[in-house]
Amino acid sequence: MRSVATLIVGLLLLLLQSTVMEFAPVHLVTPTLGLLTVLYIGLSPLKWAPGSAALVGLSLGYLFDLVSGAPRGVHAFVFLVMALFARALASRLAVRGVVLKASAAFVASLLSALLIVVVRAQVSPETGYGGLRMAPIEALLTAVFGPPVLWLLSRLDGRLDPALLRVGLSRRRARALGSGLPPR
Amino acid sequence: MLPSGHRQKIREAVIITAAFLTALFLLRQSAKSPEYLSPLDRGILALVTPLQSRMARLARSIGHAAGQYVDLVHVRAENEALHNENGRLRAELLEAKRGAAESVRFQRLLGLRNAVTTETLVARVIAIDVSPYFRVARIQLDRGEGLVSRGMPIITPDGVVGRINRVAGDTSDILLSVDPRSAIDVVLPRTGGRGILRGKPGENGYRCAIEYLMQGEQAKEGDLVVTSGLGGFPRDLPVGKISKVARNAVGMSQELEVSPDVDFARLSEVLVVVAPTPPADPEASAHKPLVPSHGLGVYR
Repeated sequence: MRSVATLIVGLLLLLLQSTVMEFAPVHLVTPTLGLLTVLYIGLSPLKWAPGSAALVGLSLGYLFDLVSGAPRGVHAFVFLVMALFARALASRLAVRGVVLKASAAFVASLLSALLIVVVRAQVSPETGYGGLRMAPIEALLTAVFGPPVLWLLSRLDGRLDPALLRVGLSRRRARALGSGLPPR
Repeated sequence: MLPSGHRQKIREAVIITAAFLTALFLLRQSAKSPEYLSPLDRGILALVTPLQSRMARLARSIGHAAGQYVDLVHVRAENEALHNENGRLRAELLEAKRGAAESVRFQRLLGLRNAVTTETLVARVIAIDVSPYFRVARIQLDRGEGLVSRGMPIITPDGVVGRINRVAGDTSDILLSVDPRSAIDVVLPRTGGRGILRGKPGENGYRCAIEYLMQGEQAKEGDLVVTSGLGGFPRDLPVGKISKVARNAVGMSQELEVSPDVDFARLSEVLVVVAPTPPADPEASAHKPLVPSHGLGVYR
């Protein structure tokens, strides 16, 4: 349920990236919103098992390949690697706060751009290894969009937390119980 | 019997390995046959494309409305009393201009359609360059689904756009002429030199280059580049202008950088050439060597 909901949100973000951003007055680069979904999943090790994170990363990348017209498997592979990278990052560093989240989004975007170019060169050797000049700007835009998108995803994830759903508690109820004073 | 924590770890490792194998399988398949789409791909595209198309239309409307709003705000600042009247007139003017521009665009498209001797279909562009690392656009046909196939040329009144790379129902992905995987046979009318136009690898902008142009046929900056008529493209269709000439001292060829005539960032409607261009009349060239026997002489 949670994976499907996350995939749907990720797909909507991909479509937003593929259409709305492209018709913006300045047509240069767009933030990689789909990658932010993968980043969120990887950065939430307590909520997402590594296997689930890998599967959602693979599926979102595969969807991005279909939506963007890129050779199938390029983004699937890269997003899968990024999900595991974010997972590894989260196990060593607590990514909390706007600055750290934006930094993580920046690094993830740069790394994914590098990986895309390398994988692309393997699939279509005629494309070469170039095209990274705009990657820092793309990463900067992704960093700007990172904190609000990650916050939105965490809100959605909180509402669909299986532990809370299992016992019939909504997010609001759970928070009231959790933040209350200890019983007298 | 393994402890549950251990079993969980093995399960996760199996899932991750399976995910990697799936991604590698997809990559291998893409490298072997880039045009192939599985039934699952087609199913997903059939679900996603209408949504993508609607979002594109919504984005255009929002952009248009936002532009009008900005105009109105400026008018209000100038004169509150004249705001309503001025705003209405400006909105009407914008609407009329937009309508006129659209009309001109359609007229040019119609003109091109009449000029091309082969059968064509009109398609709308619903997405372009979703990933900056692949020069691909997506089009949706209003009618004629099933008539298009891989390799069919895509053109506009401004010039060459590219070729169809993948087809799924009424939606197709175009490999733009600025993608390094694209190859289009072109000619320089001034020198008569011929070459292959390819996208420049590693370029962030929309640039392409001509390969295999012989050194003897000296090209210079500003030279026009048109299609040769080979490879399905109508003859003499504008491609772009030479923007940079690099001389290859060792080899026989010149490296020519080309600025395309088509503004890929603002593509909205295109023509798909669905039938191959008829072969040139060999006798016609004997009588009129400089006039093409078919194609788009008017656009030269």
